[in-house]
Amino acid sequence: MRPFEMWEPSEVAQAVALLDSAHLAPGSRAPRLLAGGQDLLGELKDDLARPAALINLKGIAGLDEIEEVASGGQSPHALRIGSLVTLARIADNATLQERYPLLCAAAVSVGSPQIRSQATLGGNLCQRPRCIYYRNAAALCLKKGGRECFAEGGVNRHNAILGGGPSWIVHPSDLAPALVALDASVELTSPTGTRELSLADFFTLPADGDVLRENRLGPQEMITSLTLPAGGGMTGAMTEKATGGRSGDVRQVYMKFRERESFDFALVSVSMRVRVVDDRIRAARLVLGGVAPIPWRCLGAERLLADKPLEPQSFAAAAQVALAAAEPLEQNAYKVPLATTLIMRAGAALTAETR
Amino acid sequence: MTGSGADVDHSWPAVFERRLIGKRVPRVDGPAKLTGKAVYTQDVRLPRMAWGRLVPAPVAGGKVRVDLAPALAIEGVLGGIVLGETVRYLGQPVAALAAENSDLLEDGLAAVVVEVVEEGWALTREQSLAPDAPRVGRRGNRSGERTRGDGAAARRALAECAATIEGTWQMPIQHHLCLETHSAVVDYSGGESATVYLSTQGTYGSSFEAAEELGLKAAEVRLVCEHMGGGFGSKFDLGIEGLAACRLAKQLKRPVRVANSRRDEFLFAGNRSGSRQQIRLGANKGGHLRALVAEVERFGGIGRGSHPGLPYIYEVRESAVTSSSVHTSTDSSRAMRAPGHPQASFAMEGAVDLVAIELGLDPLLLRKRNLESEVYHRQLDRVAELIGWEQHAHRTSPASPAAGERSSGIGFAVSTWGGGGRPGARAEVRIERDGTVSVASASQDLGTGTRTHMAVVVAEALGLRVEDVSVHIGDSRLPRSVTSGGSVTSACLAPAVQDAASQARAEFLKHLGRVLDAPVGLLRLEDRRLLGPADWELPQLPAAGLDWGQACALLGSTGLSAQGEFQRELASSGVHGAQAARVEVDTGTGRVAIKEFACVQDCGLVLNRLAVESQIRGAIVQALSHGMLEERVVDGGLGLVLSADLMNYKAAVCAQVPEIHVELDQDQGRGVVGVGEPPVIPGVAAIANAIHNACGARLFETPFTPDRVLRALSAATGKDGGR
Repeated sequence: MRPFEMWEPSEVAQAVALLDSAHLAPGSRAPRLLAGGQDLLGELKDDLARPAALINLKGIAGLDEIEEVASGGQSPHALRIGSLVTLARIADNATLQERYPLLCAAAVSVGSPQIRSQATLGGNLCQRPRCIYYRNAAALCLKKGGRECFAEGGVNRHNAILGGGPSWIVHPSDLAPALVALDASVELTSPTGTRELSLADFFTLPADGDVLRENRLGPQEMITSLTLPAGGGMTGAMTEKATGGRSGDVRQVYMKFRERESFDFALVSVSMRVRVVDDRIRAARLVLGGVAPIPWRCLGAERLLADKPLEPQSFAAAAQVALAAAEPLEQNAYKVPLATTLIMRAGAALTAETR
Repeated sequence: MTGSGADVDHSWPAVFERRLIGKRVPRVDGPAKLTGKAVYTQDVRLPRMAWGRLVPAPVAGGKVRVDLAPALAIEGVLGGIVLGETVRYLGQPVAALAAENSDLLEDGLAAVVVEVVEEGWALTREQSLAPDAPRVGRRGNRSGERTRGDGAAARRALAECAATIEGTWQMPIQHHLCLETHSAVVDYSGGESATVYLSTQGTYGSSFEAAEELGLKAAEVRLVCEHMGGGFGSKFDLGIEGLAACRLAKQLKRPVRVANSRRDEFLFAGNRSGSRQQIRLGANKGGHLRALVAEVERFGGIGRGSHPGLPYIYEVRESAVTSSSVHTSTDSSRAMRAPGHPQASFAMEGAVDLVAIELGLDPLLLRKRNLESEVYHRQLDRVAELIGWEQHAHRTSPASPAAGERSSGIGFAVSTWGGGGRPGARAEVRIERDGTVSVASASQDLGTGTRTHMAVVVAEALGLRVEDVSVHIGDSRLPRSVTSGGSVTSACLAPAVQDAASQARAEFLKHLGRVLDAPVGLLRLEDRRLLGPADWELPQLPAAGLDWGQACALLGSTGLSAQGEFQRELASSGVHGAQAARVEVDTGTGRVAIKEFACVQDCGLVLNRLAVESQIRGAIVQALSHGMLEERVVDGGLGLVLSADLMNYKAAVCAQVPEIHVELDQDQGRGVVGVGEPPVIPGVAAIANAIHNACGARLFETPFTPDRVLRALSAATGKDGGR
């Protein structure tokens, strides 16, 4: 590991101010924010990141809370989760388990207990890719400022089948697709103030933005919190798991498939949420993880599901639409049938749920 | 007082007399390991100790120029050596560096300049066999080619077979994955003597290599390996890490530690060779194997790799097998737990299974028809019982689940191994006047429970408890012992310990008989007491006898010691084993879940049942990890090993360990046989056969990851239900 300075701000404003590279000697590498460190420390040890300084966020009060926020008199309220809340706390939180079990399931699927007790929500969303070439310091790939995505014509069993090119990474976060399926928004703070983005808009495809990055964080910006809407966000006034009455009940499921049953990243994950009225789907969210450089929202499949009966054929059709645009590389075509199966099983799980 | 006893009876106690031998005894060093008190080589810290590491070549082949100057310019970087500038494989250590502490060492390593002057490599089989490939093997890129059997006759026989199958079985390189990476600490500050701490499978043998490297007399170099974190065949000698530590210590005149990083382990610490086995196998209608034509390639990097030959364990009337090594620019294979055998088993057991399916025969029956030994027959019957074969629905043809269904399957495979003892091991048992008992030998404990079985044997002989015996091993100054390779440690060492313990007992009784004026034949050691005959009282001995302490107090001032050595009749050689795996294949995702394993293994006289069962369980876990996950991944174009870390080189975790039934198939009359290696052999083959049985898809290539399973499934269904 290369030497670095350690800065310890006590407020968010200080932390983002420190992100200004002007604090550093000329030619130094930009500083990096340190939360749980579960990805960043690995990057430092593997010589993939060489920041001149780390800005430790753990001394900042107030970033590790899970709280209800008033949202226009609705009940229950929206929930805000601070960016420093650990995955272990997300997995164990009773309110989240009650209202957003999809998120808890995603959180508990990450890494190992040791990792979950250190890793944070903000850090999980900002993880760097796990591509076998990106993680090899000796391979100067597109993601590291090189000219070529070696995965495209090389070892690509784990790479993208959707949204790939010119880089074919997959986004490694388990929480991101779950949160996108929950219509979460993300609060970003910079020295000029805060802004709120839908989490789906936070992530960027390599073809759209800067290929060296996976999201829209500005150079002096950090994630301060995530907000989960009270009404579930799926059109109209809808309550999470509320009445089971005419306004419908909302069902949600998270499925993660990995090569090794624990301590591994997703080959494919499915985050699915539907609002059901009289055994018909009224609205749906379907987001895939492990298949694209961003959490992959299947808008076409969501549209198709809306107003379909809650039955296997609906989900089979949705899966077909969701994967129609898949462009597998040489070694990862298996992800298409795998994702298809998982979407159908997720649908079956939601169908089986009785209220 | 020293035991001499040529006439001492050192035979193993009769089965009904064994209190400890063959029972389940928790390992004596378990608590020390659990609490961190056990000192491994990497735990050794010495005053003024410098921290060293090897510098791996950044290129897979060619010439480099190594410049240590920028590193040595850093304050706290103490010294370095250049090991060579011609590179034959990726990661070959070209230099070693030492610094005041691990941080400065990191800085130094980052500053070493290894300039690539000339490059050329062949990382994959295809690259190696290409017409314009650079020469990576010393005797060409294909070497050691030879054919056994008459090709024409085998092909003729094949043409006459009622059923023939063919396939190409492939296995990538597997790593040893020792928890403790290869490491050495050399305590030498100039002068005439040195102590070398080494993570080794050969405490005694490595001391000579260290002496030679240090330029010292063998008698002046003490080698210590109290505990070691796994070797699996990769730690037989001083190693490049030991060599570098010796040279750096000589240069710096201070103690030096050299320990591999995890990445180093993946690059230059050896491996189990990969293989490619093209097989055509035929049988008559009755399922008797009649013809085999095969081509075996071993991928041992710049080394030869291992393979025991085909048809492996089975009897085939006419066979012709060509084998060769295909060399690539990666580190040499080393011995690894039953070298070559899991590879041969994977291919041959798969081929045998395919023949059974082709003929519509029960694979168990077909195996028995082609295995001569009755031991295999009874072991196969027993594992079939343990795994529930009779109740299984698909015994003569694979299940054909509908798309998306989960389906259960069972597969079998057998193994063989030597594991016998040989002369070379010695042991000393001492009894002190204060009642202390100890046993010592320059052996090492690879994690297999050596200390415990030594204590068991001595305690059994002296009527003591296991915890009454102190065990000293892992020090070359103790009575010499053998290198742990080929599953020989127990079979070599236990007879020597039994010999020493028997002599100690005889000597002890003889002495006490003299002191107590009692005929030796009437004295017994039992329950930590010296006892006389049951039915009458000896004049000098109280009716309740003497407790152990009182009896020992009657020893002379020097106590008692007895030396023992290997006794051929206390060991045996040759084992059989059968295993069965039950899996569930999810045809929708390609997930193979290992549900259950059964193993019936013979291993001669069992010293510690718990240790043997654990060792078999461990072997099965290692085999399933090999079959399901482990794979060295390279990029031939870039010249890189991509799987040089534990994220990308996956090994099994607890969640994947199934229920494992272990039964020891004991033959009462036999001596000790080692069982370290044989149980690792059949697992991969049994899983592949179980997968086929579950869903009709044959996996010809490890690891059985979801992508490969889905591909095999679509090939199976695409071929109209064919195999």
